[in-house]
Amino acid sequence: MIKAKQKPITEIKGLIAPYNNILVLGCGTCVTISFAGGEKEVGMLASALRIAAALEGKEQTFAEATVQRQCEWEFIDAVADQIQRADAVLSLACGVGVQALAERYPDKVILPGVNTTFLGMAVEHGVLMERCRACGDCILGLTAGICPIARCAKNLLNGPCGGSQNGKCEVDPDLDCAWQLIYDRLARLGQLDRLATIMAPKDWSKDFDGGPRKIVREDLKL
Amino acid sequence: MTDKHDTKPLTPAAEPLPPCAAACPAHTDVRSYVNAIARGDFEEAYRIARESNPLPYVCGKVCAHPCETQCRRGDVDEPVAICALKRLATEKHDLRKGHAPGLSVAEPKQDKVAIIGSGPGGLTAAHDLKRMGYQVTVFEAFPKLGGMLQLGIPLYRLPRETIEIETAPLKELGIEFVTDKRVTDVDALLADGYKAVFIAVGSHVGRKLRIPNADLPDAWLNTEFLRKVALGEKIDLRGRHVLVLGGGNVAIDVARTALRLGAARVGMTCLESCTKQPAHPWEIAEALEEGIEMFHDRTFKEIVAENGKVKGVRCVKVNFRGFLPTGAPDMDEFPETEHILPADLVIFAIGQGPDLSFLPKDGSIAQTPRRTLQVDPITLATTKKGVFAGGDAVTGVGFIIDAIAAGHRAARSIDAYLRGVDPASVQPPEPEQLGDLKEKTISHIRRLKREEMPILNAETRKGNFDEVYLGYTETQAVRAAQRCLTCGAGATVNAEKCIACLTCVRVCPYEVPVLERGTAEVAVDQCQACGLCASECPAKAISMKLYNDNDMIKDIRSAVHRARGNGEPVIVGFACRYCAYAGEEPNVVKARLPKNVKTIDVLCSGKVDALYLLKAFEAGADGVFVAGCLVGECHNEKGNVHAAQRVAYVKRLLDEIGLGGARLEMFNMSPAQCADMNAAVSTLLTKVKELGPSPVRRA
Repeated sequence: MIKAKQKPITEIKGLIAPYNNILVLGCGTCVTISFAGGEKEVGMLASALRIAAALEGKEQTFAEATVQRQCEWEFIDAVADQIQRADAVLSLACGVGVQALAERYPDKVILPGVNTTFLGMAVEHGVLMERCRACGDCILGLTAGICPIARCAKNLLNGPCGGSQNGKCEVDPDLDCAWQLIYDRLARLGQLDRLATIMAPKDWSKDFDGGPRKIVREDLKL
Repeated sequence: MTDKHDTKPLTPAAEPLPPCAAACPAHTDVRSYVNAIARGDFEEAYRIARESNPLPYVCGKVCAHPCETQCRRGDVDEPVAICALKRLATEKHDLRKGHAPGLSVAEPKQDKVAIIGSGPGGLTAAHDLKRMGYQVTVFEAFPKLGGMLQLGIPLYRLPRETIEIETAPLKELGIEFVTDKRVTDVDALLADGYKAVFIAVGSHVGRKLRIPNADLPDAWLNTEFLRKVALGEKIDLRGRHVLVLGGGNVAIDVARTALRLGAARVGMTCLESCTKQPAHPWEIAEALEEGIEMFHDRTFKEIVAENGKVKGVRCVKVNFRGFLPTGAPDMDEFPETEHILPADLVIFAIGQGPDLSFLPKDGSIAQTPRRTLQVDPITLATTKKGVFAGGDAVTGVGFIIDAIAAGHRAARSIDAYLRGVDPASVQPPEPEQLGDLKEKTISHIRRLKREEMPILNAETRKGNFDEVYLGYTETQAVRAAQRCLTCGAGATVNAEKCIACLTCVRVCPYEVPVLERGTAEVAVDQCQACGLCASECPAKAISMKLYNDNDMIKDIRSAVHRARGNGEPVIVGFACRYCAYAGEEPNVVKARLPKNVKTIDVLCSGKVDALYLLKAFEAGADGVFVAGCLVGECHNEKGNVHAAQRVAYVKRLLDEIGLGGARLEMFNMSPAQCADMNAAVSTLLTKVKELGPSPVRRA
């Protein structure tokens, strides 16, 4: 799922500084699960911003709402009135939601309240880890289900590099070396021979290098 | 075939009751008043306890408390001391506010209702009918009101002032009481303009066994004996050797009363074995403490006498298995076990029934083969139109709370009858009851010892009629109430908001939430109401039944408002009831705090949502604290750890926005350290003063 992290409040304060009536708009799906932009965080952030405004003697007001998914027209239209009443919308959705709002409400100032960070999962409660780079050309079938693109700092296709020390990455001693993980799991699966085959360069045109990507299912179009 | 979903009722069924309320014949909202005591809100506890019961003072002392037998805390360690808590709530209640503050009374109606008997059933029906506006007259055969409360229950269990406290307000309510008036003609009452009659005459006639010498002057009856003592007749049993035949609660009352009248030796003997004796175990234990002897497993052949003087009772040992449907005992006598239990006074306490000699001779008010009144069990209607009956006169000897429930039922029926409505249609269905706790849930519940009831010691009490139970102190009561598992009042999930993020599943210390059909479900009969899931849910999809965010935010604003005024910094604290005051009375601790410091009590600091901390500052607090238990001592395993993490998170946030994280503190304290709350608050106050007043203060 998409993981996000709330922006530092000082940055948010700067973004909203010119506006008086601000709608803090949460998103009820991915950012809720990543504890960054659900109804709870909307309440917390709005309260903190009210306190901050009072500290600076500002006359800002903060309305609160949360929709199920900001990346769908139907859901954001459900709060159209509140959006229209606001000078600016502080969206706690991922970048997709922020842009959906901007596209749907062309005359409205839409501001991001979170940094959309990665595709990942909670490895334990409160700890989120990146797992996928959405490269558009999945090779997990070749790497024992562990992604070297998302989890190796160098995106190596034929690792590990010399920076792998005792199973950890030289970038961060707490970070597992993805290629060590791949090696261990291949060994467990009895597929170590796969390492004898050199992987050819990846087709990066399917990644962002080919420009913004688009998926079309002609069979589903209305 | 019909799909089973199609047969679902349109309105959801009423929620299952916690076992205490389901077991209570009057379905008293036990959970709510116990919870109010746990929060230290004694007036609210009284209000709730009074709502369903016009005799809470009496019940707080002598209710048989079937609620405790069913209490699920008993599956963990020992049941919550519900009865003693009700007593405390009545003792703390300020009677100047009235016996039933806030209870409504309808406009007066013309219809007159007669009630025969002023026991708990009669008083309850009278109370309810008077509140509905009817003209109610209660006829009592004896000089004092209360029925068996007055004439049967010994003073050492129920001081008569307690009955006076309950009956005086009923007189003020406008119920007419006619004492010393034994009703002998029900038809005459109906002819006299009473539109309906409720017969609640109790079971005041004791029974003797048909054995030789049962009619000797020194072979007495339980009911007569207790009634004479209760009405103040001087009975001197000094030097006597008393043997009570019977093993029930009345038999115990008889034996303990005999002891208090000076008897040199008192024994009890019954058919049942030691473990099957029908009296409440605590009554048996107290009787034994007072030196009363118990002789079990015996049947009685004759009262042995010489020259008309009782010498004892000839007994045979038996293996009693119970009573047959005919009423005869199912047992075998053991050969060659005949013996005499010596005594010079025998008191029969083997049961009692109603005196129904006043019923119309034409049989228009029918009786059962057991010589009790025959009624429709739903409406309590007798076989005579307009005449209803309930309590011991119908059921044989029951509990006070059974009679109270019957009084409520009769009042509903009589009101319906007088309005021309079918009485059966106004009686609520029997409620569903919550299921049992699972072993897994039980394994996570903190064991807490039941508070011992302060009691006169056996040597002090056995020579007089002083009340034996002394009642809990306020601190004891709060501790006792905190043992309540608040069954069924826990978390509810709003399925429309739940996004199955699994937070609740992961944080619950009791392993209760599960994901079903794509959303979280919290089993109502397992949830322990710790509140962790609600305060951690990122979707705000979970709320607690006994309090919610809106209630709390109101309390926060009120606390900020009350802490203002003397120019000192406004400090709001969230204090865990389990630890922050446990060593002392909460109100004493609170009174010692400076006036500018107000605390909001929570049952576990884990209920303190990070949002509440911000809301306190948003409302204008200059400083905020959370007082929770020491790590490892949390009632809910780790509620205090979560609270501390939230405090740390909000401190950083306050630093970032420039208000200053130092205005917020977490205190972890053990019960023994409660005096330290003052010290901890002083330290916080000093810091807050250094930072100056919060600019957020609102008008």
